[in-house]
Amino acid sequence: MTLDSKIPEGPIAEKWTNYKAHQKLVNPANKRKLDIIVVGTGLAGGAAAASLGALGFHVDVFCIQDSPRRAHSIAAQGGINAAKNYQNDGDSIYRLFYDTIKGGDYRAREANVYRLAEVSGNIIDQCVAQGVPFARDYSGMLDNRSFGGAQVSRTFYARGQTGQQLLLGAYSALSREVARGTVTLHERHEMLDLVIIPDKEGKPRARGIIARNLVTGEIERYAAHAVVVASGGYGNLFYLSTNAMGSNVSAAWACHRKGAFFANPCYVQIHPTCIPVHGDYQSKLTLMSESLRNDGRIWVPKKKEDAEAIRRGEKKGKDIPEEERDYYLERRYPAFGNLVPRDVASRAAKERCDAGYGVGTGLAVFLDFSEAINRLGKDVVKQRYGNLFQMYQKIVDDDPYETPMMIYPAVHYTMGGLWVDYELQTTIPGLFAAGEANFSDHGANRLGASALMQGLSDGYFVLPYTLQNYLADQIYVGKITSDTPEFDKAEQDVRERINKLLEIGHKNENGTERLTVDHFHKALGHIMWEYCGMARSEESLKIAMEKVVELEAEFWQKVTVPGNNEEFNPELEKALRLADYFELARLVITDAQHRKESCGGHFRIESQTEDGETLRDDEHFMYVAAWEYKGHDVTEEMHKEDLHYEAIHIAKRNYK
Amino acid sequence: MNLNQFHSISKKITVALLGGFLLIFVLFHAGANLCILRNDDGAWYSAFCHFMGTNYIVKVFEVILMATIFFHICLTLWLAYTNYKARGTVRYHHASKTKTHTGSKLMAWTGGFLLVLLVMHFCDFYFVKLGWVEGKYMVKTEEINKIAQDENAMTMLQVAQYADVDEYLNNLEKTDTQKAAKLREYIPLVDVIKNMESKLSEDKKYMKNLSVEEKEALSVINGVDVEPDFYTMARGKFKTWWVSVLYLILFALLWFHLRHGFPSVFQTLGWNNYTYSKAIDVIGICYACLVFLMFAAVPIGVYFFL
Amino acid sequence: MNLTLHIWRQENAKAKGRFETYKVENISPDCSFLEMLDILNEKLTNDHIAHPVCFDNDCREGICGMCGLYINGRPHGNDDGVTTCQLHMRHFNDGDEIWIEPWRAKPFPVIRDLVVDRTAFDKIIQAGGYISATTGGVPDANSILIPKHKADQAMDAAECIGCGACVAACKNASAMLFVSAKVSHLALLPQGKPEAQDRVKKMVCKMDELGFGACTNTYACEAECPKQIKRQNIARLNREWICSALGRDRKEK
Repeated sequence: MTLDSKIPEGPIAEKWTNYKAHQKLVNPANKRKLDIIVVGTGLAGGAAAASLGALGFHVDVFCIQDSPRRAHSIAAQGGINAAKNYQNDGDSIYRLFYDTIKGGDYRAREANVYRLAEVSGNIIDQCVAQGVPFARDYSGMLDNRSFGGAQVSRTFYARGQTGQQLLLGAYSALSREVARGTVTLHERHEMLDLVIIPDKEGKPRARGIIARNLVTGEIERYAAHAVVVASGGYGNLFYLSTNAMGSNVSAAWACHRKGAFFANPCYVQIHPTCIPVHGDYQSKLTLMSESLRNDGRIWVPKKKEDAEAIRRGEKKGKDIPEEERDYYLERRYPAFGNLVPRDVASRAAKERCDAGYGVGTGLAVFLDFSEAINRLGKDVVKQRYGNLFQMYQKIVDDDPYETPMMIYPAVHYTMGGLWVDYELQTTIPGLFAAGEANFSDHGANRLGASALMQGLSDGYFVLPYTLQNYLADQIYVGKITSDTPEFDKAEQDVRERINKLLEIGHKNENGTERLTVDHFHKALGHIMWEYCGMARSEESLKIAMEKVVELEAEFWQKVTVPGNNEEFNPELEKALRLADYFELARLVITDAQHRKESCGGHFRIESQTEDGETLRDDEHFMYVAAWEYKGHDVTEEMHKEDLHYEAIHIAKRNYK
Repeated sequence: MNLNQFHSISKKITVALLGGFLLIFVLFHAGANLCILRNDDGAWYSAFCHFMGTNYIVKVFEVILMATIFFHICLTLWLAYTNYKARGTVRYHHASKTKTHTGSKLMAWTGGFLLVLLVMHFCDFYFVKLGWVEGKYMVKTEEINKIAQDENAMTMLQVAQYADVDEYLNNLEKTDTQKAAKLREYIPLVDVIKNMESKLSEDKKYMKNLSVEEKEALSVINGVDVEPDFYTMARGKFKTWWVSVLYLILFALLWFHLRHGFPSVFQTLGWNNYTYSKAIDVIGICYACLVFLMFAAVPIGVYFFL
Repeated sequence: MNLTLHIWRQENAKAKGRFETYKVENISPDCSFLEMLDILNEKLTNDHIAHPVCFDNDCREGICGMCGLYINGRPHGNDDGVTTCQLHMRHFNDGDEIWIEPWRAKPFPVIRDLVVDRTAFDKIIQAGGYISATTGGVPDANSILIPKHKADQAMDAAECIGCGACVAACKNASAMLFVSAKVSHLALLPQGKPEAQDRVKKMVCKMDELGFGACTNTYACEAECPKQIKRQNIARLNREWICSALGRDRKEK
């Protein structure tokens, strides 16, 4: 199968306009006869469901939480980028496009990224109209802050809760559609399988999903003309991440198993400013917004003795005099300083800690605001970062106004995801993927404040157009019914999978070794972080693969899932998700093994410059690796989508 | 109006408006009470009581006030019932440890005890005025003049002074039965009038502390207005230590009720914002304290100083 | 530290619940409350004692609003301005007895153990907690000027995470703080003005209809709100309600 990315003709700046001018539309009277399923209610899913409902389609929307407002988009702190150039500092659509491509280490599809930059301004307009209380200056105009990887201030923000406010905006738009009756909400429902039904010509089309009602355990069928998957990323593969506990890959993976290609799984973003790990009972890592790097300075002691003394608790960060501090980001990257992109900042922290200069448990560096407090005063700092400081204090029990904070990188975002074309359609016709669940816009690394932008752009401004283009001829199909052999089969498969997991548990009930789902998840996360984390090598990846295969086999023999299917059973939910993570883990490792270059979030030790920077291999790896599922135990098959850069001159990614 | 359309906030606003009215009334009431402490043998106090007891505007106001109290209680009970139901059938096992506004959680209890205060207070004073309950009475000197103009009364007085009343009446009966029967009604009055001199207070304005029998005796003369003697009654009540203490306890409960009620009126009517919040709360405390002190001054003052 | 936990167990919405007592040992003070429950669940499963305790949680960084436990008489436990997931065990002492209950309110029925159904909140928002801005066709973001203090106040109200602690804390199970936060957020912004009167009417009617209690100004909600939403929002809601009642267009009915 060849991958057709369906990029419209014309110069880059006109592609989206051309597409919209020539696409097919659905007559308003027909829209209500067309059903769409949207899985996920984050920024992408929520915005898409609301916009499609507003257009008049009938939308069934699913979320695993008790309310659409809980989706993990809510946790995004820093802000959302938009090429508004309100600050008159030289921003433009092209510059945002350029920064995003460059930030993604030239591994993103040009046309998609340009469209993203193009609609970025509309997102801000839309959100303000919905009542999102973005920060304003005293004139009443919108305020901006700067973010990593950019030399302009283009980030709009609402204190440290931008994601929350944007999500609540999308949620309120969604709620309005629910009230109008165009959107039907299914909360506490988890998609477990995709149903594909061939049309008259025998072309397979996504026609519905199988979902489990998480309260009653009922397995339910939902049919529709098209399915949108916006179920987020798979950062929880690493167990400890900044993702929510419930974030999972299962919906996307169900699509992958049914034939949707999974692209670039090895691109995982490690966020540099998280609160360090402090114990093995820990379930979650907390992110401190990247905006902290605006005024905070990152350092470790220059002398190893000092670092050791701090680790032993004999010295405190504030005891180290100015001249004994190594502001390594400012030293290595004078042009961007503390505002280098995330992957660069993360690796630099790891490099220092590996070299023995780490503080805290040895896996932490300082993020210091003393200079900012002196320069701006405590009040200004408090106003800008007060809630983040408070959060830090609550967790660590240490006052960041007095002593420097400690941070360490943690898994945060996954650039990889379901392969989609320009229309955000996967390789299965009628199946669309949006937001973090798809792979399209961030290449090998995502810039700060771009995830919100991408999610909302997909949901508000791309899917409502491209879905219509797909649905235009579907009106002839009539209502899709869930009473078909394909639905029977899918439901049967789901039941078998659930029963298999429960049986292992019941069989082990009296056995000596009973291991919980969390036990396996932690073990898997540990393997992935150790051997397939911030730095990967041929050797480490080999070990990772062996260990994952071994652990997976053990999982299918020893896991304990208490209770049964016909009840509210979080352990069963977790087990189902973890089973998918094992397959994904193997794919991530396979992808990392094949990509023998370093780019963005993927760092291969074999491929680095003399001073430890990533070294791309454009000649051999300038493509998207889209993987096709071939069976549980079979190595997946790779398909390449070559990347062509016409509007951008490819250069070494340099932030020095 | 359909009661189903009477929404929770509307109920609250009504309670607040009624409460606000009571807040103002309570302040006036407390101010008026203070007259009793004036060293004038109850002249101001009695004058005030007379005004309150006879003025027609006050009578209309009284009806409004009673209705206010009634609806204030009814609505809060209604709200309390729906609020109780809102918690559901299973309630918390562990008692709440949440810090709440002073007095706020006790509103139903303080309100309930205040109802006791009200009933007690009514029995002591208000119902006396309505004549439902016995009390002490008084008559003004200008009213006594009306006695002087009553022929029958004067006749009886003269008779009582110089002759045997029974004999005189028996004789009279033979000639004028009607007149004798009329005069016979005046027999109890004789003792009352005899005592008048000794009972007239120093400024000769009031004749106080009549008993019920004496009041009824006076009432045979048309046009003589006998009023309840609240001054003497109040003094009598508050000279009893346990009554004073009981009232003080209830005034303390009133403090809690008002201390939460005052800022609540502003909050419920939407007259609260970030700027005034603190001020309203402080004024609320001052108001509650003021009312408490004004009320409490009466039992304390009477007990120790009158 | 070692702790004795009394946890509300209830198989499903219809079952009769009861308290069960469990002991946990060697809990680190840096551990979060939910991680402590994770440890308990691990033990319950491994030692085949009981079905793991079900409790809602998701982001574990205090923003999603999913978690919510009534701990020793306080929603979200004995620390101010945090959600249950941000509550750390350093706020407890060795040997403490901890009572853990679900939110109790008629509109929040228990689903299982400590998990309650909070879709009532969604229904209130659906009744009118939005600005009807259909995607596309909106003016430029800077064409609407909003004074900074207004935007800040709107943001203060908009920080609500919809966890339900206000309802759980309120002796009347009143949702006034939740409703007022949304009403205030939208009423403070010029974008929200056109629908303001209608919005407050619909949301309050829905709130009453769902069986939430009325506010008696105890401000337990304010004291327990993890996002420290202020009571002044409730005053604004009352104000908006009065304006709506007095200024209602009679023709509308």
